[in-house]
Amino acid sequence: MKLCHAVFATVLAAGLAAPAFSQQNTLVIAMTATPKGFDPDIWVPGQIESTVNVYEGLTRFGLGGGDGKRSLDFTKLEPHFAEKWTVSPDGKTYVFKLRKGVKSPFGNELSAADVVWTYEKSAWQKRTGLFMKNVDRVQKVEAIAPDEVRFTLSEPNRIFLSSLTLHIPTLFDSTEAKKHATAEDPYATKWLAANTAGYGPYHLQSVQAGQQAVFVVNPNYVFDKPFYTRVIWREVPSAATRVALVRTGQVQYAEQIPLQQIKELKSDRTVKVESVAAPGAATVRMNPKFPPFDKQKVRQAVAYATDYKAIGEAVFLGLGTRARSMLSPPIPGAIDAYHYETDYAKAKQLLAEAGLPNGFDTTLEYSTNWWWEEPLALQMQASLAQAGIRVTPKRISPAEMNARRAINSWSIPFLTHLTSGFVPDPSYTMFLTAHCKGGSNVNANCDPKLDKLIDASVAERDDARWLEIVADAQKEQADYATFVETFLPGTHEVFSACIQGYLWRPHNRLMWKDLVCRK
Amino acid sequence: MLIARFLALRLAVAVPVVLGIVFLTFMLIRIGHQDPVAMLAGPLADASTYAMIRKELDLDRPLLQQFVTYVEHLAHGDLGRSWQGGAPVLREIVTHFPITLELVVLAVGLAAFVGIPVGIRAAMRPNGRFDQITRFGALTAFSIPTYWMGLMAILVFFYFLRWAPPPMGRVSLEVIAPPVVTGSVLVDSLISANWAAARSAAAQLVLPVACFALLAMAPIIKHTRAIAIEVFGSDYMRFARASGFSRRTLRRMALRNSLAPVLTFLGTELTSLLAAASLIEYIFSWGGLGQYGLNAILQGDFAVVQGYVLTLALFSVVVFLVVDLAVLVLEPRAQLRA
Repeated sequence: MKLCHAVFATVLAAGLAAPAFSQQNTLVIAMTATPKGFDPDIWVPGQIESTVNVYEGLTRFGLGGGDGKRSLDFTKLEPHFAEKWTVSPDGKTYVFKLRKGVKSPFGNELSAADVVWTYEKSAWQKRTGLFMKNVDRVQKVEAIAPDEVRFTLSEPNRIFLSSLTLHIPTLFDSTEAKKHATAEDPYATKWLAANTAGYGPYHLQSVQAGQQAVFVVNPNYVFDKPFYTRVIWREVPSAATRVALVRTGQVQYAEQIPLQQIKELKSDRTVKVESVAAPGAATVRMNPKFPPFDKQKVRQAVAYATDYKAIGEAVFLGLGTRARSMLSPPIPGAIDAYHYETDYAKAKQLLAEAGLPNGFDTTLEYSTNWWWEEPLALQMQASLAQAGIRVTPKRISPAEMNARRAINSWSIPFLTHLTSGFVPDPSYTMFLTAHCKGGSNVNANCDPKLDKLIDASVAERDDARWLEIVADAQKEQADYATFVETFLPGTHEVFSACIQGYLWRPHNRLMWKDLVCRK
Repeated sequence: MLIARFLALRLAVAVPVVLGIVFLTFMLIRIGHQDPVAMLAGPLADASTYAMIRKELDLDRPLLQQFVTYVEHLAHGDLGRSWQGGAPVLREIVTHFPITLELVVLAVGLAAFVGIPVGIRAAMRPNGRFDQITRFGALTAFSIPTYWMGLMAILVFFYFLRWAPPPMGRVSLEVIAPPVVTGSVLVDSLISANWAAARSAAAQLVLPVACFALLAMAPIIKHTRAIAIEVFGSDYMRFARASGFSRRTLRRMALRNSLAPVLTFLGTELTSLLAAASLIEYIFSWGGLGQYGLNAILQGDFAVVQGYVLTLALFSVVVFLVVDLAVLVLEPRAQLRA
């Protein structure tokens, strides 16, 4: 009994002495894990979430918000760390004049040599940066003056300027990084994996694996100083704990909250939920390498046998937006190309025409990469059964999913997947996800007609013609029917009630510099 | 001399056991479907990148050759580097291990402190009211899933009552953490006379330790009760009772005679709880070895998983060795058997 009293007394004493942590300019965020690395070229958990706040590019999207809500206009490209640029008449040469006074926390000013070094580093590492360089068709990057850099492309490319908004290939402070280079590691990749050297608004102060990472503002940041000068990134792996922390004001932001709780939090006045119908659609993909999905009619039958209404209500709890194309609405040029509605009779008829009047058996593989995968797989099982398609949902680990759906493997016949891309450009997104050579093509989506349309859209410079090609490509993909487009689950970010300024960006990660707290 | 021989014998048995565990862990994790290369390469990589990473991770050679290289490195105290982030596994384990150890030792200590006397008292009158209440309580505590207990504790004591501090690590953001000496924030705060940090660390410990202790207490009560019933039924105890010894003396006699098997059981509890710490750490964002190992398993970080399992195995060996030595000291008959 005495022990009980002692325990409760300690709890009570500690609890009363632990009010919400409040330092006006410190942002505390509850994240699933501390970052495993900080080199934008190397994908590891937490890297993108942190480095988008450290590294910024030569261009940026301008502000839109004609509807009264602050948002970005993805058709408006503005100079960011570049001051201006010129394009050659053939669209293959871009010359950027760098902005004056762009400095890293180490006091070094951005130069053309930094830009060249960044691309050399990515080429040497042969990872994400090199992929982006190839997508951009960048052939050569040269410093033509200390503050002028020239990009030569192998062919005109519409997405080049958009992709320069990204954090990868990014702009490193090469003067600082070179101090940590060695003969075996000429691009200081080991140092850059554990430290940051960018020109963006924040830089890493300390990290304790499994506990927390602390970022502080770059005192030399060339644009407006962010409201939050310090960001404490706490590892809180349990979603329930993250919700409790944001509700009690102990943290100002909690990431990856399940939709069931989002619905509840929307009516909670102690928190603010910001929702955007982006970045992509929850899809079920069919791999045409595997029968019976090699038959177009079978794939179309699956699309007709999907109960979209039930998925919207049971899986996305009425908070999702129906997907109508392989391109999501924020992407310019997206049209309502996906015409399938639930029609079991039509599905059965198509199956019979494909030589499968009694349906077929298949396994739908899903993982836990996204919260909706399991409920969607179960709902698909129920609805496809109505057309005689017998589905066995099978849960596999995220690691197995990532390995088997990769372009070198393509060994999953039927799987759940989220369509999304970092650059809100239709040509880029279509190339990435639906082109036979696309890096995020997870289901051996190889339709020569579609590939031809996507290739044409990448090179087309006339806007009207380009939009026509983009529309044709979306219609072709809908007919090819390897994607069952269900819903856009949306992005739902949960903040303390005082937080304002949230702005959705195509990389779908939070940028701390946007946020302010106004009580 | 006897103890030295005993130790040598035990270690001789432990070496092949640990090697077997190393072999099994190494093979099983690779036989599974997880492919760390795909995870590291990301969705945008091409075949040449895959080949490059596979070579970097030494995954392009036959399994047995990979194992031999791993054991060679192990013999030099090199557990490799995390495949995600590149941190040396040994350094990370050394950092994370005391964090979990602090939690587990305090929980098992609390569970033993409460559980052993309760078990002995229950055994004094089997099926009596106290025994029945104890058995019901122990069964209930044992049946509650750990994660649910943790979540309920947070909901009640942190969210509703606001008594407990935020379940967000080992020390409040408001205080400056002490310099690391032992790895236990509580102990390090006391060493450095940082009373604010010590108070915060103690407060952060209350809920996870209480949840963990409840989980550990049930089998301790059950086991102690069973052993004590046997002890109370022995001739010497019947003689003591007939001689009119007080209940307190009888309890002390029972405790002393039950201590060796109970201690052995506590060793088992300590090792199994270290492995089971992942869930409690996950709920309370504790950041110890359990959370580190769980993340590695989910992310296919083979080098870390191997290091994690090896640490658990070595910890078990050390704990059982210490327990056996303690039993040798406590019970002379054990020396004869040894």
